[in-house]
Amino acid sequence: MEHWLPLVAMAPLAAAALAPALGRGRPALAWGLGVIAAAWSLLAAVLLTRRLVLEGPFSYAMGGWPAPYGIELRFDALSAATVFVALIYLLVLVYSRRYAEAAIPAHRRSWYYSLLMVNLGGLVGFVCAGDLFNLFVFMELASVSSYALVAAGGGRVAALAALKYLLAGAVSSVLILFSIGVLHALTGSLNIADVAARLAATGAGAPAALALGGLTAGFMVKAALFPLHLWLPDAHASAPSPVSAILSGLVVNIGIIGWLRILPIFSGLETMALGMVYEALAWLGAVAIIAGALAALFQQDIKLMLAYSTVSNIGYIVLGLGLAHPVAATGATVHVLNHALIKSTLFLAAGALIHQTGYRTLHDLRGAGRVMPWTCLALSIGVLAVVGLPPTAGFLGKWYIALGALEAGRPVFAVALLAGALLIFFYYVRILNAFYFRAPAQERMLSVREAPLSMLLPVLLLAALCVLGGLFGRWPIDLLAPLVRQLPGGG
Amino acid sequence: MALAIAAAAVPMLAGVMALPRPGDPAAPVHARVAAHVVAHGAEETGAENLVTAVLLAYRGYDTFGEVTVMFAALAAVMTVLAPRPRERSPEPADGVAISPVVVFVIRLLAPFIAAFAVLVVLRGNVSPGGGFQGGVMLGALLVLLSVVTGRGNERPLLEPRLASWLQAAGPLTFTLVALLGFATAGAVLALPADPAWARGAMLLALELGIGVGTAAIILGLFLQMRGW
Amino acid sequence: MPSGLQNLDYAAFVVLFCIGLYMVLARSNLVKKLLGLNIMETAVFAFIVTSGMVDDGTAPILGNGVAGPFASPLPHALILTGIVVAVSITALALALIVEIHRQCGTIEADELKGAE
Repeated sequence: MEHWLPLVAMAPLAAAALAPALGRGRPALAWGLGVIAAAWSLLAAVLLTRRLVLEGPFSYAMGGWPAPYGIELRFDALSAATVFVALIYLLVLVYSRRYAEAAIPAHRRSWYYSLLMVNLGGLVGFVCAGDLFNLFVFMELASVSSYALVAAGGGRVAALAALKYLLAGAVSSVLILFSIGVLHALTGSLNIADVAARLAATGAGAPAALALGGLTAGFMVKAALFPLHLWLPDAHASAPSPVSAILSGLVVNIGIIGWLRILPIFSGLETMALGMVYEALAWLGAVAIIAGALAALFQQDIKLMLAYSTVSNIGYIVLGLGLAHPVAATGATVHVLNHALIKSTLFLAAGALIHQTGYRTLHDLRGAGRVMPWTCLALSIGVLAVVGLPPTAGFLGKWYIALGALEAGRPVFAVALLAGALLIFFYYVRILNAFYFRAPAQERMLSVREAPLSMLLPVLLLAALCVLGGLFGRWPIDLLAPLVRQLPGGG
Repeated sequence: MALAIAAAAVPMLAGVMALPRPGDPAAPVHARVAAHVVAHGAEETGAENLVTAVLLAYRGYDTFGEVTVMFAALAAVMTVLAPRPRERSPEPADGVAISPVVVFVIRLLAPFIAAFAVLVVLRGNVSPGGGFQGGVMLGALLVLLSVVTGRGNERPLLEPRLASWLQAAGPLTFTLVALLGFATAGAVLALPADPAWARGAMLLALELGIGVGTAAIILGLFLQMRGW
Repeated sequence: MPSGLQNLDYAAFVVLFCIGLYMVLARSNLVKKLLGLNIMETAVFAFIVTSGMVDDGTAPILGNGVAGPFASPLPHALILTGIVVAVSITALALALIVEIHRQCGTIEADELKGAE
């Protein structure tokens, strides 16, 4: 069974290599290949998670070479996120078919699907990595494909946004590689568990603190934590909508999941250095919540609004992690998964609106609720989820973070959380108002039809998951709790 | 801005100064994985070039990721820059016509360069070299020939249909060898210990796959960017 | 842990890294930013390779009659992968710059800010 672990990532990557060769002149074939690969990954991820629940976390020595000489793949509670990744990717691919036919020229389409497959393989491989350099390589796989996907739809804004994203991402990757080099020079090994053990044994000093700082800074740029978020709004807003869904829902979590993966290495570090990092993260997270929500309030373009909302939600997650309290950290980790569901719903629904109407601003989209009822229903559910109203998926994570803040004796952070929620509530009232209660401002809105089924079904399914995720929210929490307890510094 | 970066440099310098001295044989860097590889690498993997042993055997999964990154770069450039078939502009006039002396010399040297590149790829197990190095040389040679013979996008050196398959050679070879390794040795991307020739053959296949893929990708990148 | 002038190599690479970072952040021309990125990457590769060196050591390639301490092969494999990744990113960045130049007519970040 465990032999499936490397294949979860290798299958999409092999499909990516095959897609352009097989799909010459027939992009639909490349699309079909992508759907098969994503479905296969989803199946494998579900089976692996089932084994995780029944028998506990397990590892896989790649090539039979025992760790630390070889590469170790690890499947623990955090790796179960693979299920979310594969599921969202499958739905995005199904959605993408119609969208790509409209938005991406035919001769580029096979390469576009190839890039999507590379991205999927990179994300899945990243989440299951137990080795520092393997983590880096798959992070780069996901990142390079992301940079290109932003520019896939063409246009000057997208090209500029893609380059800005590339520079920010590449600089942070180099910083992460530097830190990995420092850790290697300190311990002679690249396996995460091995490095952690050796650092704890020999005692860490200035170089380990440097490595922690470098890794934190690098991963937080990738997670778009304020004030390092400047690359995100344009990139996520000008990308094609299915790509925006993946970027905001999945790729941005590379920073968070990566940071969680390397954190156990530094459990031996003296508490002062670790404590400073946590403090900084908590404050920056709180600022990000408010700044992101405020910025979203002033946007007219619906995708820019959603992009700033991502910045705000990352703030929630980082705040939860920075509080260094088990309840808050559990809430933060769960919110990573829930936010993936919610943001994909929102971006896909918004994409369907833009695809059908051609308009992107709230003003032009007035009255959409009447002509595209199902899409707007999904969007509204997503809106409610992002605000965090029970019983949607967005509620549980934020509730736990707030609880953790109060239990840790830091009520100011709970206030920040509440303020953020209120701000989001306001601007989403704007959206609902525009869709349902205002007369259309553009003539074309009157003759718009509902989105095609291949686009509508994934959106509705994701919206349903937003609600189900809230109703069954205890299950991921119980799964993640033991992992969270092992985080250093009181997590 | 410069001050901010200088301020960031200080902790970096402080941390780096406290590392073990580079070159110290007793440093931790040589103690764990490196010691094992140096001591047992040649017998366990059949490659005397220990870097190749690490690259293709111990950390073969990373190399798989690496060839896929290169392929992704090609896919990326194709997606960002793909010219519309109808809009392909006529070949822009080169600033200086290529002298026939240059053309002659390059055509004369091409077979030798190609032979050297292939040699580097094939001897990757026992001498410095390997798939990437040889592949880059071959790719650079193909680019040079494209420029010199004037066969750009109109009649490319590699026919497009074939080129797609050759470019995918890297990741595909790795996948095939990985599955083969699973069938023969019980773990994905493993090397069978028993028939030594099988092990050598799998390493060779990997090297060739990497070399061919790299060369095709480099040519593909050049042709794509030149199209503008 | 020994410190002082023994790790001058490392210090030099850190300085190089910061020079590259300065170029990425402070220079307006997009190609110069890309060059700064490449300088940063080179600095990190040099750092990693240097960390694997041994006094009086040879390259980690066994052969007839080759003896003595071997440099660690692990950093060599790491930076090989790193170089390929860096080349891939550079290729994509150049393609984007070409596209930006085609669409906007300029590759100076200052002028591009107005064009957005």
